[in-house]
Amino acid sequence: MISIENISKYYERQTILDDISFQLADGEILGLLGPNGAGKTTLMRIVNRIATADKGHVTYNGEILKEKHLLEIGYLPEERGLYQSMTVEKHIIYLARLRGLLKVDAHYQLNHWLEKFEIQDWRKKRIEELSKGMAQKIQFICTVLHNPKVLILDEPFSGFDPINVELIRNELLELKGRGHSIILSTHNMNSVEEICDRAVLINKGQKLLEGKIQGLREQYDEGIFNITFKGNMLAFTTALWTGFEIIDKKDHAEDIFSVYIKMRHDNEVNDLLNAVIGQVKIISVEAVLPTMEKVFVKTINAQKEQVNE
Amino acid sequence: MNKIILIAKREIAERFNNRFYRWLMVLGPLLVLGLVYLFLSNTSSAKQHWNVLVMDKNEIFSNKLAVTKPDNLSFDFINSFLDYDEFASNAEYQKYDLAISINEKIVSNKHVIISYRVRPPEKVQHQLIYLVERRLEEIMVSEFTDLSVEKFRDIKQSLTFNLKDTYDPKNENSTTASWVGFVFGSLIILFVFMFGMTILRSVAREKANRIVEVLLSMVKARQLLAGKILGVGVSAIIQFFVWIAIIAFGLFIFRVTVFPDIFSGSFVADEVVRNQAGQGLTSQSDFVELIYSQIHYMNMLVFFILFFIGGFLFYGSFFAMIGAAMGSESDGQQFVIPITLLIFGAVLSGYYAIYNPGTTLSSWLEFIPFTSPMNMMIRLANGFEDGSAWQLYISLLILFVAALLMLMVAGRIYKNGLLRFNHRLRFKMLLQWSKK
Repeated sequence: MISIENISKYYERQTILDDISFQLADGEILGLLGPNGAGKTTLMRIVNRIATADKGHVTYNGEILKEKHLLEIGYLPEERGLYQSMTVEKHIIYLARLRGLLKVDAHYQLNHWLEKFEIQDWRKKRIEELSKGMAQKIQFICTVLHNPKVLILDEPFSGFDPINVELIRNELLELKGRGHSIILSTHNMNSVEEICDRAVLINKGQKLLEGKIQGLREQYDEGIFNITFKGNMLAFTTALWTGFEIIDKKDHAEDIFSVYIKMRHDNEVNDLLNAVIGQVKIISVEAVLPTMEKVFVKTINAQKEQVNE
Repeated sequence: MNKIILIAKREIAERFNNRFYRWLMVLGPLLVLGLVYLFLSNTSSAKQHWNVLVMDKNEIFSNKLAVTKPDNLSFDFINSFLDYDEFASNAEYQKYDLAISINEKIVSNKHVIISYRVRPPEKVQHQLIYLVERRLEEIMVSEFTDLSVEKFRDIKQSLTFNLKDTYDPKNENSTTASWVGFVFGSLIILFVFMFGMTILRSVAREKANRIVEVLLSMVKARQLLAGKILGVGVSAIIQFFVWIAIIAFGLFIFRVTVFPDIFSGSFVADEVVRNQAGQGLTSQSDFVELIYSQIHYMNMLVFFILFFIGGFLFYGSFFAMIGAAMGSESDGQQFVIPITLLIFGAVLSGYYAIYNPGTTLSSWLEFIPFTSPMNMMIRLANGFEDGSAWQLYISLLILFVAALLMLMVAGRIYKNGLLRFNHRLRFKMLLQWSKK
């Protein structure tokens, strides 16, 4: 759908983006990750033709991205605002018309989304009367009103309470289900794990990682298992001896525990089970993959160390 | 184009939702009318008593002007003719405020000149005209006809009166016409400044509340700039036309109700002479003349609109540029000061041109885009000599070309500055952004 090909951007002798390439497939949610100042916003601006790349190009369905393609893209920037003195209705219609919608279609879509978010009563309210969360909802509606095939969302969950985070998350999944593609930039790694199919991690303008979420987590797998058992904790620890390392533990009841264990040497999960099976009653055993947050931190730190060396 | 119109429409709607804009639309012209009222009121409150010298060389009037002399007027007669200099400087005539010249051919040429030291109010002018007219009627009836005075009055040809300043009989030092141009030029500058600042505030607000990034994902920076300038410009023109409509209506009301004596037969007669003689003779006060007769409204309005559009695009680009480039609202203020000074300079240049017409500098000022809207309005009010009207069009052309260039530069700075926040704006930055 969208292909970012060898994009570089420089500003005042600094490299903001350095030869970044990746693709966004049809019906895919792609997490664009990176710490503050990594170059994510610049990249998203380039995809929206707000900024121009010094090298490389962006293609849309195989064609070099042009102004006409912007009608099929919805962009929600991180730093977003609304005209405070306008009413909700007029504001949404105005932006929809700038996106190329006819007045009648804009009104139809407005009614649809206000109804969907159950906010019909806000129609005549001025933006300045809305709370931050309410304004965020209006911004989201403005982004999706023209039914774009591609959504580029920069921190779409910021400012929302958990209920509304859930609402927006479900909305994104629904859009994905209808074949829309989404680039999602967020620091909320739970959301990345939950809704993203793939992720690209950039830092200091360079692409550090790209792949499916599961694949990235497996790539950073440290061989940690979570074992839940009933029995004596002392007997369990004694049975492990030196072949395993206890990382963490949780008490569920007086004699029910969950323990996170890292394999040492060449030990595998079967060795673990053999070691403890006669000592405690095992309830469950599962492999624990690193969270995306850990993947994120590890990758960034690894880059730092590399630079320092 | 459609997007530019959408942006412009939103800007216009925002202006109309703005209380200050709406109040200004009504209070602005009322303020102007209030000032006009004060001036008009002052023209009718002058000296209480007027000494009049009647210069009747052939003693046509026989040392008599009125049977019952008005309380505020006293007359002395001499049977000689004094030229303006004598009347102005001879000590023995200093006690006279006015001199009426009854020429020896008055019976045939019907022409009377009234010269003054201090311009008499309209009421006194009418009294004098009335007395001279009546006296001449008596003489004509008694010496040349068998008709009654009433009958003669019906068929007679009216006298024409010319009111002249003793110290400036050829009206050479009059700056009235220039002031008309200055008023129009000042209106352009005032509107350019007011609405230029509106552009700046509007751009700065969009930047501050960050909606600009959303907008830029839908429209090009140049479209946004064009829509904004178009919308604010149209708002300014609407405001201006409402001003003109209210002021014109107010002047009409003044003319027919509050100051009905401003216009009389003498005015019409004077116009005839003016046309015949082809020179600027005056019978009204300068100010009355300025607002009711000297302004060629249609002509001035057409060029006012053109120079306003040119001036607005030219200066508006500066304001939009600063609005887009500023890192914070207070940061941009330092760059507003130079523009304000330029605008103030334009007003001063107009003042200079009024009192120094025809100098090399005042000629240049008519073509420099910063000052041409003001100075060409003054020139236009004074009229162009035959064959020199091309200067007006050249000035307009230069203004529009300069505005176009400024818009191109402003477009670049606007595009590059819009998404920069919280920086300290420097002149160097503007230069860099203008090249990108």
